[in-house]
Amino acid sequence: MSSGQQPIISVRNLTKTYDNGVTALKGVSFDVYPGEFLVIIGLSGSGKSTLLRCLNRLHDPTSGEIIFDGQHVEKVEGRRILDLRKNVAMIFQHFNLIPRHSVLSNVLMGRLGSIGTFSSLLSLFSSEDKKKAREYLRLVGIEAKAQIRADQLSGGQQQRVAIARALTQNPKVLLADEPVASLDPATCHVVMDYLRKVNQELGITMICNLHFLSLVRQYATRVIAMKGGEIVYQGKPSDIDQAWFEKIYGEGAKEVHVN
Amino acid sequence: MSTKARRRRINLKKWGFDALFFALSLLLFLFVFFHFAAFFTDSFDFIDKEWAALHMGKIALGCGGLVVFSAAASLLLYARKVATLGDYLFSSADRKQQIIEKSFIRSFYGIHLTLTFVASVFLSILATGASLYELTDPDGFQGAVNLFSGLLHANFNLLPTAIIEVIETIFIAFLATVIAIPISFVLSFLCAKNIMTHPLAFTFYAVMRTFLNLTRSVEPLIWAIIFSVWVGIGPFAGMLALLIHSVASLTKQYSEIVEDVSDGPIEGIRSTGANAVQTVWFAVVPQVVLPYIAFTIYRWDINVRMATVIGLVGGGGIGTLLIKYQGQGMWPEVGCIIIVIAAVVWLMDTASAYIREALR
Repeated sequence: MSSGQQPIISVRNLTKTYDNGVTALKGVSFDVYPGEFLVIIGLSGSGKSTLLRCLNRLHDPTSGEIIFDGQHVEKVEGRRILDLRKNVAMIFQHFNLIPRHSVLSNVLMGRLGSIGTFSSLLSLFSSEDKKKAREYLRLVGIEAKAQIRADQLSGGQQQRVAIARALTQNPKVLLADEPVASLDPATCHVVMDYLRKVNQELGITMICNLHFLSLVRQYATRVIAMKGGEIVYQGKPSDIDQAWFEKIYGEGAKEVHVN
Repeated sequence: MSTKARRRRINLKKWGFDALFFALSLLLFLFVFFHFAAFFTDSFDFIDKEWAALHMGKIALGCGGLVVFSAAASLLLYARKVATLGDYLFSSADRKQQIIEKSFIRSFYGIHLTLTFVASVFLSILATGASLYELTDPDGFQGAVNLFSGLLHANFNLLPTAIIEVIETIFIAFLATVIAIPISFVLSFLCAKNIMTHPLAFTFYAVMRTFLNLTRSVEPLIWAIIFSVWVGIGPFAGMLALLIHSVASLTKQYSEIVEDVSDGPIEGIRSTGANAVQTVWFAVVPQVVLPYIAFTIYRWDINVRMATVIGLVGGGGIGTLLIKYQGQGMWPEVGCIIIVIAAVVWLMDTASAYIREALR
């Protein structure tokens, strides 16, 4: 995005070493600008998932700074971590829905951070919340399935439910951790199209981990490539050529097209 | 360094095991030897418990000597590369392969194990006082026949009383189960490794686990005796005994279910900004509730059977009725009671199996 804009997230020298001694991030710095569709690519184990989970504090970074909305994400504690997660929603490779609950109930769980513990335990969601939940289900095109159990949907449909759940949080940023990695190529595009819709129509900033370069070219407004816990490329998706590709994925790697 | 240290540790394990196992088998062989010696010389009865109790110090010293002797003997065997049982269990993979290639019955450890087993079985028969003579003794046999015919000609005049008592037993079991459910429900999360990750929480987890394991290892029968002293003989004591055992067992079973839940939904709910209580309620509880119900029904089923046994020591219900008539040798009445118990146990067993199957 344009350089004159104020970043919505700033990451500086972020490192993460797990308790078992594995260093997943080795000093990562980048900015995310409002409204962009930032894609992070890299091999499994390159640190992309860890990076996303540091941004909403599902993991605690070891050192470095993350500034979101003027506050130091790495320093927030207790109640304010929950507020952070409300604003920085996330979807996952394996959707992470509650299998035995209905689609609507799953979507309403996006409100858990905003309502009281007691009323949430009794599932006392306001009619306002329910209306919103249905609205977002319509946005991702599965309003008709609202009463069906989540585990009876296909993978692509489950991921759309997960998007709807994230949207009911009213987030400023949506993190997507390999959202299409366990889907077939056709479904893949459906889900990516909905993510673009969310990004463009609702103006939610998107940070998305992906495997396939062809998807990156199609959807990303900017791309970051990671290798071994470090950023090896930042720029336009169209600038990634064969040389860069080999640098990221290793010598002799061939691009696989998803169409 | 680490491989060397590991090899030394494994060797120590092997040596320790061999020393103890050799000593044990030698002791058994000695017993067998002395038994036959006594049989032929008719000089003394070797299984003399009073003599053994009086000379426990000496016996312990002798056993210590055996262990030392065995330790030295196993070193000798190692030097001659004889495959001992310790070798077979604790050696490196290639040595094990070498040992396995030889036939079991031709190898040293095979013969050793077989002899030890034979000696153990022989001594067990002696210790139990099992005798074919007693089993075929006509007087004793006639007594058993009388008993069985009494059981077969059950006195059904007792049926109303037996039914009332068995209902009491079912209620004792039901109350114990119902009170145990909420306690175990809360404790199960506090005893699940994947929930108690914080170091302080983990300490609590370890303490709780040990405490519950100790509680569980005391049989309900013993708890019933303790509580009948505490609150007086009767159904209340029996219920408390079952309650203690149920809490310990259910907590263990529940917490194993909690440890088995998949992390995906937990991460999903946490990412929405939900707090810890909400995460447990929405991500963990839906995953555990059906297995919980299945285990609970099974526990009630077990409790009904246990309540009967506990009744024998004064825990009330059908068990107490049973011991009353059994003490007077009123076999037709006992027969009626046993039929009622069998019917109820069979019913509960079938029903609980059916429900658990349906819940899957």
